[in-house]
Amino acid sequence: MLPEPFTSQYLSQLETLRLRTRKEFLGSQTGSYSSPRRGTSLEFADYRRYSPGDDLRYLDWGIYARTDRLYIKLFREEVDLFAYIFVDASASMAFPSPREKFLPASHIAASLAYVVLANHDHVKLHLLGNSVNHAASPFYRGRRRITDCIHFMTSADPEGPLELAPVLAEHLRTLRRPGKAILISDFLMPPTSYQQGLNLLRGFNLDIAVIQVLTRQEVDPPFSNGGLRLVDSETNAEIGFQWDAAAQQDYKARLAQHNSEIRSFCHQSGIHYSLYLTDRELDDFVFATLPAIGLFK
Amino acid sequence: MEFLNPTALYGLLALPLLLIPYLTRQKPRRVVFSSLLLFNVPDKRAGGRPLSRLRLPPIFFLQLLLLALVIVALAEPVFSVRTSRIAVVLDNSASMQTLFGQQTRFALAQEKVRGLLSDLGPAATADLYLTVPRLEKVRGTSLGPVEATRIVGSLTSYDLPDAPIDYQVVLSQMAKEQKYDRVYLITDHPAVGQTDVLRVLTVGQPRDNFAVSSFAISHSSLVGSRLEATAEVANFSGKDERIKVVLRGGGAVLSSRDLAVEAGKTAAATFAGFPNHPYYELEIDIRDGLPIDNRRFAVPPAAQNLRILGISPRPQALNSLRSIPGVSLDIVAPQEYDKADRSGYSLEIFHYSTPAVPPANPALFVLPPDNNPLAELAKPVSRPIVSSWREPHPLTRYVNFALFRPAFSRPLKPRVSAEAIIESPAGLLALAMERRAVRYLVLGFEIFPYLGRENLPVSVFTLNLLDWFFHGSGAEPLVTGAPIIFSAAQQGSFLLTPRGDKIALEHGANSFPATHFQGLYQIQRGSHRELFAVNFENKNESDLRQPTPIPIREATAADNVSALFSIWPYLLLISLILLFVEWFVNPRPIRSAFGLRSPPAT
Repeated sequence: MLPEPFTSQYLSQLETLRLRTRKEFLGSQTGSYSSPRRGTSLEFADYRRYSPGDDLRYLDWGIYARTDRLYIKLFREEVDLFAYIFVDASASMAFPSPREKFLPASHIAASLAYVVLANHDHVKLHLLGNSVNHAASPFYRGRRRITDCIHFMTSADPEGPLELAPVLAEHLRTLRRPGKAILISDFLMPPTSYQQGLNLLRGFNLDIAVIQVLTRQEVDPPFSNGGLRLVDSETNAEIGFQWDAAAQQDYKARLAQHNSEIRSFCHQSGIHYSLYLTDRELDDFVFATLPAIGLFK
Repeated sequence: MEFLNPTALYGLLALPLLLIPYLTRQKPRRVVFSSLLLFNVPDKRAGGRPLSRLRLPPIFFLQLLLLALVIVALAEPVFSVRTSRIAVVLDNSASMQTLFGQQTRFALAQEKVRGLLSDLGPAATADLYLTVPRLEKVRGTSLGPVEATRIVGSLTSYDLPDAPIDYQVVLSQMAKEQKYDRVYLITDHPAVGQTDVLRVLTVGQPRDNFAVSSFAISHSSLVGSRLEATAEVANFSGKDERIKVVLRGGGAVLSSRDLAVEAGKTAAATFAGFPNHPYYELEIDIRDGLPIDNRRFAVPPAAQNLRILGISPRPQALNSLRSIPGVSLDIVAPQEYDKADRSGYSLEIFHYSTPAVPPANPALFVLPPDNNPLAELAKPVSRPIVSSWREPHPLTRYVNFALFRPAFSRPLKPRVSAEAIIESPAGLLALAMERRAVRYLVLGFEIFPYLGRENLPVSVFTLNLLDWFFHGSGAEPLVTGAPIIFSAAQQGSFLLTPRGDKIALEHGANSFPATHFQGLYQIQRGSHRELFAVNFENKNESDLRQPTPIPIREATAADNVSALFSIWPYLLLISLILLFVEWFVNPRPIRSAFGLRSPPAT
């Protein structure tokens, strides 16, 4: 029995989706994604001159009739997909509570994993955090492994700080096959930090998508006016801050600027980007927003 | 602008307390947030010290204004519409001589009066009144401010207690009848309430005080010239004190005692064996609030022997009094009483007789006739039983009333106010009364002849009454404000007051009422001099700890025409409007700062 919101109806809707990739990868088995190799799919790719030994079934007899030359038709090879879903498991994902931020992020990750599993592709979940207990799951394949995915995600406990680039580098050391990388995080980190991390993913020839997860409290902090001692959930650093309407406006402007910078960087880097506010319905986000940014076919 | 209740203005001192909720509200709350990335800007406003982080919103100033308006409204501000005619009632009782620093309360009151008068316009008029010996205008006509200021400086306080005046009634009536715009009472008593017209200005503060509450010189016995002095010292303070009591006579110190007087109690001292002087002075050596009650004067009894004039149709019974040592007796028949020279007698005994008018000397009436002016006599009762008697009383002291059985009696019914001394089931047997400081005793039974040891109960009673008359024969000091009664003055007689004023006495005058000052009053009749010690004695005046407040109630509109325009109702109205504004404007009411804060954000 799967927890909410993974109802049979929801899963059925997810099964209609398919991840879209903008790159061709070398798969391990026959699948539904294009490969740079020529293969035996129905999708025509190119011609080449006949060489002895070629399979005569692929001779283009029409060209031979017109030009009296032998050409072999080449077709694309379709392979399976390896998807890597990276989920930020730092302490900031537990603000204001894990149930309000990390759990929705886990649901997104599990939903995307199910989309991959439903297409008989491979998915691997990575929990990003400096803590040693954060790790990566094995590759899952087959829709029945969704329970393992959900269990892996829900058993995680977000804590500690996160240095995105070093942690990603640690995870990428074990990555052998290129594929689709989806990074789910709040991206409440300096631009240099997430840029280094995303560039690292780009360097591994991964087709990248980014989902930024924020809570309503982070978008519109409900502080009462007055002095505050703000404590960073990850570093425990404290600053004094005078909160009032002007400060609130200033914060909102800074957040909008920050998000705009992320979106701009992703756009320039060919990365899918989407922002998910956790007070929004999950199915609405998955079935409306993610297809709109081109994450699904 | 003036304030009818200026005490409320002290509430303005509490205005800074309004900062407290803002300071507590400003205390930084510790809030955990996902990331400080977007807050990480140096903000000098977020300091650690309360005052540095205090940022007062506009609503604070609205609340401050609201609070200030309410306090000012409570002080009942009024605008003076016109003050062209005022009355200043100056308390000049003895307690106004209390020292306040180097000045007396009366001097402070005079300064206040000068201040009031200086605020008047040149066309205004002021009437000055003094409270003692009676509430009376100082001058018959109204005075201009300048002249009134000059006269105030010449006023003095008297050694008299407060006059029993209902200031609310009297001053209201005065304001109404004389059409005063305002009546000021300057006194050392606090006031409860104020009105637009009646204003009480209080001077001085409560103080500890010590007083000689009594001082008397008497003969130690009926016989002999030996004098003794008894004094009592009262402690009107909250702590025990050792007080040195000094007896002076003839300008020299005769004796002294150290008395331990408990807080709120009295202590007595007795002096004996001092030489004869015309008068004596007792003083306590202490610095306290009121100096006047630290000394008292006393004159020794004028006569060493009790001279008695007997008026009786049966002189044989009275003759037995001659057997008492120290008693000299002259007897006249009732019809010869008017012709007799009655001066120099300490006691007149009317035996079965009565004069046409009460005598000037103390008198004993034994079974007076029915037509006497003092008491009605009932039918005779044989061997009456004494059912009750006044106790303790000098007349009944040591008398065994179980054995007190006169042969017969005629119960008395007083015609004038009298004190019942002895009673029987059939009625009163002995009545004591005092008229114009002269003692009378009326007996409804026979006490003569004096049989000494053969009839001890009656003999003891007889000696008691002689002693009672002896000590009540004018030797006790008089109190200020009470008239001095003396024998009729002759032509050329005069009276010297303690302040040295020489007052000529009219022929036949036998009293002097203006005893406004404590001290020795001296009547000079040719070469004969008679001294009277007049002392200030009033517990309420000497007790300076908690002066009796003067209640001033709000007068009805019909009682007076207000010279003041009250603006406090308008201030209250403005405050109410501001309160509504604050209610709607303030997003977080101030009450939330007092522990009713909304739940924290995280």
